[in-house]
Amino acid sequence: MEIKIYNDSSRYHLGEVLKESLKGFKRSFYLARQLARRDIRAQYRQSVLGVVWAVVPVLMTALVWIFLQASGTIQLSSTGMPYPVFVLMGTTCWSVWTECLSLSIISVNANKSIITKINFDKEALITLGFMKMGFNFLIKLGLLIVFMALYHVVPGWSVFAFFPLLFITMLCCMSIGILLAPIGILYNDIGKAIPLSMQMLMYVSPVVYMSPKSGLMKQLMQYNPFYYMMDDLRNTLTGASIEHGTFWLIFGLMTILLFAFSLIVYRVSMPIITERMSA
Amino acid sequence: MNEVLIKAEGVSKKFAKDLKKSLFYGLSDVFGGVIGRKVKDQLRKDEFWAVQDVHFEVRRGECLGLIGHNGAGKSTLLKMLNGLIAPDKGSITMKGRIAALIELGAGFNPILTGRENIYNNAAVIGFSKKEIDARFDSIVAFSEIGEFIDTPVKNYSSGMKVRLGFAVAAQLEPDVLIIDEVLAVGDLGFRVKCINRIQELLRKSAVIFVSHSMAQVTTICTDLILLNKGRIEFKGADIGAGVEKYFMKFDTGDQQIIRTKNVFLKNVSLSTWGAKDAQLPEVQEGVLQIESGGGITLKLNLDVEQSVKRLKIRIGIFNVEYRLLAEVDTDQEGLTVLNEKGNLQFEVDIRPLHLRYGKYSIHLHVMDQDTQERLLRQSDIAHFLVKNTIPVGSDFILPATWRFQTS
Repeated sequence: MEIKIYNDSSRYHLGEVLKESLKGFKRSFYLARQLARRDIRAQYRQSVLGVVWAVVPVLMTALVWIFLQASGTIQLSSTGMPYPVFVLMGTTCWSVWTECLSLSIISVNANKSIITKINFDKEALITLGFMKMGFNFLIKLGLLIVFMALYHVVPGWSVFAFFPLLFITMLCCMSIGILLAPIGILYNDIGKAIPLSMQMLMYVSPVVYMSPKSGLMKQLMQYNPFYYMMDDLRNTLTGASIEHGTFWLIFGLMTILLFAFSLIVYRVSMPIITERMSA
Repeated sequence: MNEVLIKAEGVSKKFAKDLKKSLFYGLSDVFGGVIGRKVKDQLRKDEFWAVQDVHFEVRRGECLGLIGHNGAGKSTLLKMLNGLIAPDKGSITMKGRIAALIELGAGFNPILTGRENIYNNAAVIGFSKKEIDARFDSIVAFSEIGEFIDTPVKNYSSGMKVRLGFAVAAQLEPDVLIIDEVLAVGDLGFRVKCINRIQELLRKSAVIFVSHSMAQVTTICTDLILLNKGRIEFKGADIGAGVEKYFMKFDTGDQQIIRTKNVFLKNVSLSTWGAKDAQLPEVQEGVLQIESGGGITLKLNLDVEQSVKRLKIRIGIFNVEYRLLAEVDTDQEGLTVLNEKGNLQFEVDIRPLHLRYGKYSIHLHVMDQDTQERLLRQSDIAHFLVKNTIPVGSDFILPATWRFQTS
């Protein structure tokens, strides 16, 4: 018979917590899938345009920049591919990262009523957020493929690296989001600050324009991991080869460590957060 | 002896009164938890013990009732037992599959149909896909939702929602069951069905039952814990004694007075019916005590303004759950009370009171016989206790004559 012991959290062993957390993901997978299905169904059942809403924000930002560039309002350095495709790739990745950052906080807040009443593996909420984000991403990807086909942008062999690399970047953003979640649930400030700071960061990353060859912006971008992420993700989609191998190696390792750490923090903090949450 | 399935040892939990402080302490606890810092036993500023040093054991087949007034720490203890929050001190050990009937229909989405929501709710309370598929038909049958199973839940009546929620929960086959006052739901027929199902579960599992309804507690529980300010005040198998203690704690609160004309209650005295003057009334903690089936004599002194000529007086008896159980009325006796001098002094014998044990409260109601205007309504003018009777679920124990055929 299964035995459960609840006592004060300081008696935990960190390795044990991590193991429990990973088990939690496995145990709660069905629940997460069921909740994701529930949320997605409910969202689209009450909407006429349906999935269109998933791509509207990305498309809007892209269209604004396409217009600015095409009308000559702003002068941008050559991007090496049709500008609309360049922008859409940028905004799609950017929206995915923003979603990854905030999905834990949103997921936990949206399910407060269950958290305060029912005991389940809270990892389900991370899986739930990831599934919903993934669903939106697939729709955005569809739009991107349409754009690429329209402008005859053809990827090469390196396209197979696209999903693994994108997944690492997602995992990194999610880890940061999970680490911020305990503070973000207690204090609303974090939830407000994430989209805002991501908007600021977008302009020091090569999302809607190329990284310049020289000057202050180039210097800034050198220290910006988003620069490397964006650059190589575009490369994999346009048939170019991956340029920043060392970056990915270090980044990947750090992401795995960060993810493990965030899971520990999440599992330890959830009971404490639950206590302070009003249903 | 059956095996112990639930064991609580020295369980304590502290809470902060102030929101900002609570959030800050939460944050530092998260940090402390990650680096493995020992939680200190002392209270920090503005903290208090919501639950302190609670010990108990529950075996399979036993049902532990958890009672206490609002703020006594029941919900906090329940959350710890359910594993939602961790104790600050002590430990809880649970064996086997745990189920909590704390909220019915968790995870429902109003836009989706009943069918879809069965899957949502069942997943939330811990069923796997296979288990739900196997039980789906019996859930639908139990819920009595019938043809509306494919209608969005937002169009359900509240009773239908509860029925659907209970139908899913009823499929659980737990070793440990935690129930928090969800029994009193739905219409009568369905309630009977729920209680029957719970009685079935009681035999097979160790149960913790939290309730404000002493009727339910006395019919269901085998053991009782009375919490007061986070501490155990009573623990034992003598349910009657525990419930009596609970009633004594019952704070009748402030008197409520609604007055439309100058009618004032000047004096009240309550005594046991039939007692000789010399006999001292039996009193416990300042409250008159009577036998079940005995009576009371209430003496009242009322000032009534002269414009009111004829009166009607009604006296109501309420139980601790603030339910009106019985009334006596001058109208029922065919009496008319005349107000001649602006002051009324009278006695009324109320008997026999075949009430079960517990504390009762008396309310006064004065009306104008001619205009039917309500002149005075005053709550809690006096209290009395009915002494220990056998534990029963109903409010009254009636005298009866039994005749058995012997051969």
